[in-house]
Amino acid sequence: MFIQQLINGLALGAIYALIALGYTMVYGILQLINFAHGEVYMLGAYLAIIVMGLLTSPGAPEIGMAAKLIITLILSAGFCAAYGAVIERTAYRPLRKAAKLAPLISAVGMSIILQNFVMLAQGKEYKNLPPVVPSDGIALFGATVSPLQILILAVSLLVMGGLQLFVVRTKLGKAMRATSQDRIMAGLVGINVNQVISVTFMIGSSLAAVAGVLVTLYYGVVHFFMGYLAGLKAFTAAVLGGIGSIPGAMVGGVLLGLIENFGASYISGVYKDAFAFLVLIITLIARPSGLFGQKTIDKV
Amino acid sequence: MNRFYYRLILFAMFGLAAAGCTSQQQNVIRIGAAGPMTGDQSKMGIDLRNAAELAVAEWNEKGGVLGKKIELLAGDDQADPKQAVSVANKFINQKVAAVVGHWNSSCSIPASEYYVNANVVMISPATTNPRFTQQGFKSVFRVCGTDDQQGKIAADFVVKKMRPKRVAVIHDKTAYGQGLADFFKKSLGPGIEIVFYDGIVQRDPDYKGVLTAIKEKRPEVYFFGGIYPEAGRLVRQAREIGLTAPMITGDGVYDPTFIKIAGAAAEGTLVTFGKDPGGLSTAKAFLGKYAAKYGEAGPYSIYAYDAANIILTAIQQAGTTDGTKVAEYISKTSFRGAFGDISFDKNGDVNKAPYVVWKVKDGKFIEVQ
Repeated sequence: MFIQQLINGLALGAIYALIALGYTMVYGILQLINFAHGEVYMLGAYLAIIVMGLLTSPGAPEIGMAAKLIITLILSAGFCAAYGAVIERTAYRPLRKAAKLAPLISAVGMSIILQNFVMLAQGKEYKNLPPVVPSDGIALFGATVSPLQILILAVSLLVMGGLQLFVVRTKLGKAMRATSQDRIMAGLVGINVNQVISVTFMIGSSLAAVAGVLVTLYYGVVHFFMGYLAGLKAFTAAVLGGIGSIPGAMVGGVLLGLIENFGASYISGVYKDAFAFLVLIITLIARPSGLFGQKTIDKV
Repeated sequence: MNRFYYRLILFAMFGLAAAGCTSQQQNVIRIGAAGPMTGDQSKMGIDLRNAAELAVAEWNEKGGVLGKKIELLAGDDQADPKQAVSVANKFINQKVAAVVGHWNSSCSIPASEYYVNANVVMISPATTNPRFTQQGFKSVFRVCGTDDQQGKIAADFVVKKMRPKRVAVIHDKTAYGQGLADFFKKSLGPGIEIVFYDGIVQRDPDYKGVLTAIKEKRPEVYFFGGIYPEAGRLVRQAREIGLTAPMITGDGVYDPTFIKIAGAAAEGTLVTFGKDPGGLSTAKAFLGKYAAKYGEAGPYSIYAYDAANIILTAIQQAGTTDGTKVAEYISKTSFRGAFGDISFDKNGDVNKAPYVVWKVKDGKFIEVQ
């Protein structure tokens, strides 16, 4: 049972980690908690159901399952990246020099707009996607792993590895790290700060879209309200790992998934959601800067 | 614009509005239809409303009741007890004569108190928690069976046909789900060990934690008290983690949406529900009319249709919309519904409520008993 729960928790945690990365990257650069991020994840999930629905409908061209998955992932990620850039351009950039509270409120507003937009455009009903990947588990070390869990872990590892390489190795990644250290100085040495911020939003949003696609395949249910709770939990994961830290978000997400799963099975399924927020409270009391966070010194 | 004309138009508008109000109140009899019409259980509320709408349209074609047209008001309770009370208050303010609804036990029970206080007759097509009609209210009825009956049928089936030693029980913590799970548990009798009993969070996408804990206990069958969205995710995820014991569950899962969510994992799931009405000629006529107007009827559409017809017949026969008199007529009369003859006992429950066990086979519900 332990190994089974470990795998369940890892799959759930990988999803949280993917969403948490978007929170943490934006916070690292703008010190802004992007409350509309959960909605981008929801948009990604809706796109998955739309694209998958089209690809599996009777008239669609005959292509393999892997091709369908890749097409869905790319379309959804690309679309959400565009959403991320537009959200930043319209809701946050005009408030760049405003008081710190203004973009935060703007973020909450953006979240409400997106939720209602999807509700009006797609309806209030829950949408279902019948299983597209065979759901029979595979026996492994005395546990049963579903093909989807392997897919989730593989895609998440790949995407997170790619992100780490991008941030550490590329010029744009370097510019991103410089901007997160000091935005004004970065501007002075010739970095196009606005462009870096746009790219950060696009990357964060496409990661959320990947999470949305994976969740849709995994659970088969989407609704316009799903970004709210997932967003809060991913935010908890980011805080647990230390907000602003990329490895922190990854570790925080996985830890949160494990805690939820072990809590639900060893204590009680009734309190599943409570465990996540208990973690948030304990982190904020015992270690406010999170596991990987640095103590910030207010710049004078 | 000339100020005088402006005022004149304003007065005229108010006058028209006022005239509209009074004429409506005098010439229309209002019936409420309440259930979850948005959210994950929305199909059930919409099925209910459509069926009531169909009944009302038929009566209106024949000239309405008591010489007045009937107007159907729809109330969305979102399967939420708090919303259900607010729908009840809204209906009462709009002076409805009677209500078809609500769908969920957790909504019908709190709402019933408000309807009773306002002397509004209530017939629920789907509320199965026994407590609903055991509150001592004279104007509260249901046209479906109760959870102690279907919990017993499910338990008998398990005991006689499956003969397990170990059984797990889970529920969604609602009045319906937990109530049904408890009746099932109570009816199992000695010799069967309940190896697991716990609640799950409604609307949570992930149940693998609980399911893995169940798998560890090696039950031969597990019971779920709840509604189809959760049931669909449960069987789907059970299959993913390799829990092979079949699920047995109640009427809340009897809907094609369950099979749509779960896909192939739904196969073999056992569900207690009323007998197939397809054989009855009246039921066939209803299903045909419903299909022509709204598409395929839901599992509870025919119950809602009968509930609406009982209400309208009773108002017509009692010659009044007064709740007490209408309720008195309903409790004393045997009605010919689309689903067969319906009469009520002293609590407001139907006299015969035959539950049978259905099984999902090749993507369809098949009667097995």
